[in-house]
Amino acid sequence: MTQLVQALVLGVLVGGVYALMASGLTLIFGVMHVVNVAHGAFLIMVATLTWWLWSRTGLDPILAALIMTPLMFGLGWVLHRTVLSRIRGSSVSMSVLLTFGIALVVEGVLNVTGGNVFRSATPEYFDESFVIAGMALPKPHVFGFLTAVVVLGLLHVVLTRTWTGRAIRATSQNHTGAALVGVSAASTAALAFAIGIATTGVGGSVLSVLYPFFPASHYDWISRLLGIIVLGGMGSLPGALVGALVLGLAETLTATYLGLQWSTLVFYVVIMGVLLVRPQGIFGTRLREDVAT
Amino acid sequence: MSVFSAFARRPWLLPVLFGAGLALYPVIRPYDIYPQTVLLLAFLLAIQAVGWNIISGYAGYVSLGHSVFVGLGSYTAGVLSVRIGLNPLLAAPLGGIVAVVAAVLAGAVVLRTRGHAFVIITIALLLATQVIAVNWDALTNGSDGITLPLPPWSRDIQNVPFYVAFLVLMLAGVAFSAWIRRTRFGTGLVAIREDEGKAASIGVDTTRFKITAYAASAFFPGMAGAVYAYFLTFLNPVGAFNVLGSVMIVLAALVGGRGTLWGPVIGAFVVSISAELATVYGGGAQSRVLLFGGALVVVVLFLPAGLLPVVQAWWRRRHPVAIEYTDQGGALSAGRYELRPRVEPVPVEPGPVQHDVPLLEVRGVTKRFGGLVAVDNADLTVPRGSITALIGPNGSGKTTLFNLVTGTMRADAGEVRFDGTRIDRLPPWQRGHLGLGRTFQLTRLFRSMTVLENMVAPMPDGRWRTMVADARDGREAERARELLAFVGMARFADTPAGALSYGQQKLVELAQVLMTEPKLVLLDEPAGGVNPSLVARLSQIVRDLNAQGVGFLVVEHNIPMVLELCDPVVVFSRGSVIAHGPPDIVRNDPVVLDAYLGEDWSDGASPAVAEVLK
Repeated sequence: MTQLVQALVLGVLVGGVYALMASGLTLIFGVMHVVNVAHGAFLIMVATLTWWLWSRTGLDPILAALIMTPLMFGLGWVLHRTVLSRIRGSSVSMSVLLTFGIALVVEGVLNVTGGNVFRSATPEYFDESFVIAGMALPKPHVFGFLTAVVVLGLLHVVLTRTWTGRAIRATSQNHTGAALVGVSAASTAALAFAIGIATTGVGGSVLSVLYPFFPASHYDWISRLLGIIVLGGMGSLPGALVGALVLGLAETLTATYLGLQWSTLVFYVVIMGVLLVRPQGIFGTRLREDVAT
Repeated sequence: MSVFSAFARRPWLLPVLFGAGLALYPVIRPYDIYPQTVLLLAFLLAIQAVGWNIISGYAGYVSLGHSVFVGLGSYTAGVLSVRIGLNPLLAAPLGGIVAVVAAVLAGAVVLRTRGHAFVIITIALLLATQVIAVNWDALTNGSDGITLPLPPWSRDIQNVPFYVAFLVLMLAGVAFSAWIRRTRFGTGLVAIREDEGKAASIGVDTTRFKITAYAASAFFPGMAGAVYAYFLTFLNPVGAFNVLGSVMIVLAALVGGRGTLWGPVIGAFVVSISAELATVYGGGAQSRVLLFGGALVVVVLFLPAGLLPVVQAWWRRRHPVAIEYTDQGGALSAGRYELRPRVEPVPVEPGPVQHDVPLLEVRGVTKRFGGLVAVDNADLTVPRGSITALIGPNGSGKTTLFNLVTGTMRADAGEVRFDGTRIDRLPPWQRGHLGLGRTFQLTRLFRSMTVLENMVAPMPDGRWRTMVADARDGREAERARELLAFVGMARFADTPAGALSYGQQKLVELAQVLMTEPKLVLLDEPAGGVNPSLVARLSQIVRDLNAQGVGFLVVEHNIPMVLELCDPVVVFSRGSVIAHGPPDIVRNDPVVLDAYLGEDWSDGASPAVAEVLK
C-alpha cells in the first residue's frame, strides 16, 4: 500500500517536472505551428551548462535557472529572428526538419566541446529524501516539482493577465484575426518562441540534478515531451499538464511493479491507446476545415 | 547541346545508362573492395530514401525514424539465421514483411487523423523498438547483440554479392516508386499532401492511402536490412536502431529533391559519399552529428526544393515553352456534353432500386460551434432529377450544411440519407463513392499538380483495383481530356493548377467532380467571381448534365441565376429552412424578404434591393 502511494506521489512529482518541460513545446506549437524538435537538445544544453557552472562555482543547480532562463529567452529570440522566421508560411514538416537540424547542431557542439560522457549535477541533497508518513520523497524531485509549479503559475499569469499573453493566445487561436486587430504576428511569434525556449532554462537546470545525461540524451527527452503533447492534444497547455502527469505516473508505476527498462515502452503503449480512442489527443481539437473565407 | 537534347527526348536513357554503369563496375574491377563498399552503402541509403519519399515526399507526412525498417529487417534476418539457420539472403523478403507489418500497426493508430502526431510516433517507434531489442533477451540476445555466420563465398570478392543485391533492391525500389506515382494511388498521395480535406471530398480514402503509403515505404528498406545484417555479420540494438541513420535518410531525400522520383537516389549518393569523405578527411565520427545537423539546416533554409527540381527549373528556363491562354471561345461554344459511363462500371449490388425516395434527405440536422447553433434542426429534401437551390443570407449556415452533407464535419444530431442510404456516420470518401460530389466556394484544386493530374485524382469507388490503376494513360485519362475539352480547358492539361486564374480553376473543379460520376453535385457559389458570359455557360452545363440525370444542390447569391435555373428553391435563415417551393412562390414570400432585408424592408428601407429580388 505504502509502495503504491509512494509510486503515485512520486509520479505526480515527476509529472510536474515533465509538465514544465512540455509547456514550452506545446506553447510554441500552439502559436507558431512549429514542432520544435530541438526542445530536448536545449534542455540538455542547459543541463550541461548548469553542470559546468555547478562544478566550477558550486552554485546550486536549480538556482542556476535564474541565470539560464534569461539566457535561453535571448537565444530563443535570436534564433527565431535569424533562422525560424525564414521558413514562416511553409509547411509544418519544413519546421520539423529545420528544428531537427538545429537539435543535431546543438548535440554536435556539445559532443565536440564537452565530450560524449554521462554527467549529473550532485549537490549534497541529491540523494537525500524527505520522509513523510513512512514515504521517502527524494529532495531533488520535491524541489524540482516546486520549481515547476512556480514557473507554470508564472506562465499562466503571463498568458492570461498581460497584454503580451493575450496577444499570444489570440494568435494561437486565430492567426489572421489577431493580425487584423493589430497584433503583429512576427513579433508575437518571436516572443512566444522565446518564452517557450526560456522554459528549457528552468527545465534543463532541474534535469541536471534529477537525471544523468549526455549529448545524445535529447532524443529520449524529445520523444517523451512530444509524446506528452500528442497525448494531451497538441497546442493545449492543460493537455500538456495532463499528458505529463500520465507519463510521470506510468513511469513510476512501471518502475515499481515491472522494471524501469519498460517504462518508456509503457508510455508509448498508453499514447497509442489514447490515440486509438481520441485521434486528436485528450484536449486536442480537430483542425478546422477552411472551406469558407 | 545535341547530347543534352538526346537525353531530354528520351527520359529513360539516363537511368538505364546509370544502372548499367553501376552493374558493370564490379565486373570490370571485382577486387576494388573499398570503392565497392562506399557505393553499396550509398545504394543502401538510396533504398531507404526512396522508401521514405513515398510517405514523406509524395504524401507529405515526414518520418524521422525511418531507419527503424532497416533495423527490423536486420533483426529478422539475424534472429532467423541464429535460431533456425536460415540464410539471411533468403530471409530478406521476410524482413520486408516484418517492416510492413510494423508500419501498418503504427500507421493504423496515428494516420487515421490529420496532423502532426505522425512525426512523433515515427521517432517513438524507432526508440521503442530499440528498447524492445535491448530488453527481449530471449529473442534478440539483448545488448550483447547477434553474430551472424560469415558468407560462404571467397573473401577476395566478399562485397560483390552484396553490391549486386543492394543495386538490384535500389533499382527495384525506384521502379516501385515510379509505378506508385503513375497510379491513382500515387496521385491520391500527392493530393493528400496538397489538401487532405479536398482529397477526402473527391473519394480518396485518406486513411487507407496513408497507411498503405507508410507500409509501401517500409518494404524495400526492410528487405535491404536483412542483406545489411549479412554484410555486417554483427547486430546490436544501438547500431541497428540509430537516429543518425534516420537523419541521413531525411538529408538524402531533401538534398536530392523530395517528392521527385530520382531526387532521393541522387541525394543518397551526395550525402553518403560526402559523409565518407568527411570521416576520412574531416574530424571523424565526433563531428558527424554537427556536420549533418548543419547540412540539414542549410538545405531547409536555402535549398528547400532539393537539387533535382532546381536543375529541372534551370533546364526549363533555358528551354521555355510557349504560354497558352484561355480558350474562352471554346468554353463558350462547346456543344452539349454527353456523359460517358466509366470504362469499368462498378458492380452494383442487386437490390430494389428505390425510385420513390428523394435523392438527398436531411432530417433534423443540428450543428453547434460552442454556443452558436449554426444549423438548427434543419430539414431539406433534394428531389430526384432536380436542380435545387439553397439560398439565404450570409451566415445562415448554408456552407455548414454542405459540410455536414459531404462529411467534412459531423452533425451533432439528425440524419442524412442519400439515395436511400443513411450517410451521416460515413467518412467523406465513402459518401463520394456513393455518388455525392461537391465544389468549393473558393476553389481548392491541388496547386502543384497539373490540370490533368487533378482530373484523374478523384476515386470513383473504394476498390483496390481502382487505386492501383494507371492514372496517366488509358481510358480514364481520355475521359479526363474530354471533360476538360467540354469546359474549354483542354489546352491546359499539362499546366500546374496553381497557375490558372480563379475562373479557370472553377471550370476545372467542376470537371474534376464529374470524373467520379456523381448522382448529386453540391455547388458552393458556382457563379462567384466568374464573368457574366461564363455564368450563362455554367448554367447551360448544369442544365445539360441535369437532363442526363445528375442532380444539383446549388448555394448561390446570384438570385437572377438561381430563379432562372433552379426548382425548387429552399431558403435558409439562422440555421433552418424558412421557405421552400418553386421560384415564383418563394420570391414573393414575405418571410423570405424579411430574412434577406430585415423586418422593415417594406417601409421603404431598401426598395431597390427588393426590386432586384422581385
